[in-house]
Amino acid sequence: MAEETLVPDRRRTNATPVRAFPIRELLRTGARRVTPVLLTVLIILVFWEVSKWLFAIPDQRLPSLGALVEAMFTRTQGGAGPLLIIQMLLNAWATFKVAAGGFLIGGLLGFGLALLFTQAPPLERGFLPYVIGSQTVPILAIAPMVVVGLGRMGAEPWVAKMIVAAYLTFFPVTIGMLRGLRAASPLSRDLMHSYAAGPLQTFWKLRLPVSLPYLFTALKVAASASVIGAIVAELPAGSREGIGVMILNAAQFYNSRPPALYLAILVAGLLGVAAYSLVALAERLVLGARYGHEPR
Amino acid sequence: MIQFDRVSKTYPSGAGPVTALHDVSLQIAPGEFVALIGPSGCGKSTLMRLIGDLEQPTTGVVSVGGKTPEQARRDRDYGIVFQAPVLYEWRTIRKNVELPLEIMGRPAVQRRARSQSLLQLVGLSDFGDAYPHQLSGGMQQRAAIARALSFEPSILLMDEPFGALDEITRERLQLELLSIWSSAAERPTVIFVTHSIPEAVFLADRVVVMSPRPGRVQRIITIDLPRPRNFETREAARFFSLVTEVREQLRITEALNMEH
Repeated sequence: MAEETLVPDRRRTNATPVRAFPIRELLRTGARRVTPVLLTVLIILVFWEVSKWLFAIPDQRLPSLGALVEAMFTRTQGGAGPLLIIQMLLNAWATFKVAAGGFLIGGLLGFGLALLFTQAPPLERGFLPYVIGSQTVPILAIAPMVVVGLGRMGAEPWVAKMIVAAYLTFFPVTIGMLRGLRAASPLSRDLMHSYAAGPLQTFWKLRLPVSLPYLFTALKVAASASVIGAIVAELPAGSREGIGVMILNAAQFYNSRPPALYLAILVAGLLGVAAYSLVALAERLVLGARYGHEPR
Repeated sequence: MIQFDRVSKTYPSGAGPVTALHDVSLQIAPGEFVALIGPSGCGKSTLMRLIGDLEQPTTGVVSVGGKTPEQARRDRDYGIVFQAPVLYEWRTIRKNVELPLEIMGRPAVQRRARSQSLLQLVGLSDFGDAYPHQLSGGMQQRAAIARALSFEPSILLMDEPFGALDEITRERLQLELLSIWSSAAERPTVIFVTHSIPEAVFLADRVVVMSPRPGRVQRIITIDLPRPRNFETREAARFFSLVTEVREQLRITEALNMEH
């Protein structure tokens, strides 16, 4: 068959061209990605100040942006401690470590449960109701039980916090993987059958790769959930570090220093975005080639 | 020799059991190219899937070279091509072609050599490192054929492999398939399910015309067109008379069915 009769289809020509130094290209796509983000931030800031002025909202209820920036660069502990923003970021880092640990534990647990359930459907029917039930109990009720209970048993505080984070993480992963591990099409399974492939080969070469997009979608949900879990686990009395502690402290002094609470909330939000973005980045690295563009 | 001995296949359904195949007896010689044709619901795909051990008969016996279909499958006697390419989207074209060899535990060097020559055979040598989504439908189907040929199966099961392609691509792939099949050291037996009358006549040694509800073999028409077949075959008077013969048989089938 002659080569010239091979007409590659449109999509091929759309694939990312490989050039020696695509700096201009990179700058352009970079600008295209960053511009909307910056614009949104700008709009929010303008909206903030305008509504403050329009509705005459006092600083007590909505601090001005200037006051927020000022608070960021105020030294803590009456001038002896680090800048407030530095202190917030250090505490966010502590929370991030707990969330990451919980994410890992919960992710593995969720994956394991999904695997168990797909291998043994009677177990799914028996246990899935409890898995679902576990998520309808408010985490605020469970966190103190775990944190205080484990604390009495002499465990390090981070152990309990990670367990709470894992508690929120495993659920989306279990549900996502239950779907993903069953997503292989009948024909793709027929193919494996026709090659007389064993169950393990079918798992590694078909069911697992098919499930990966489902896994990453679940992990994105789980990433934000693990941050929430870590923060909630920091709220019971006795915690000393974490962005949850900062939120509690700032809330106590809200009447005298409103900007601190706004800052703490902002940092907590950014922490969730960072966790999500890390998973999205991993997804692009793992699944990028398969689609030739970033998965959404 | 593939043998159907009074084979029936019934599926359970909400509205009671549905008979997909009724009392089918059929023999296919080694190295023969047989096309199965008939309207939707005539059980031609079911017949193919029974050979491949993708379904089990309700009654009757299917034997493949003296073995049960299951044994033949375990011995890797079958290469299968479906209407959809069913390429694994996370594997490059080369890795897709090598998939059966991987499962059969062949060494990497041997796999690589085999996929290289197969990609050349189907005209995809430049696309080994591409992913399936980067290829057109016709190219994907070529890769699927290369994958089915990778372990040199003695039987090729093809379920409307060109059904989703445009006419031009389709006729080209028919020619390619014939040239691959006839150049093989040991010609595989081909069971080719199709909706297209000219396709069945152009490719096959025998065309099995099937009728629906319940599916059964209506008539078997021997295609005596000389081989190798090429573009001129499609313009030969004999080709047209055979196409007409199959078409009329299908019409009779339809008329019989209307009376029921």
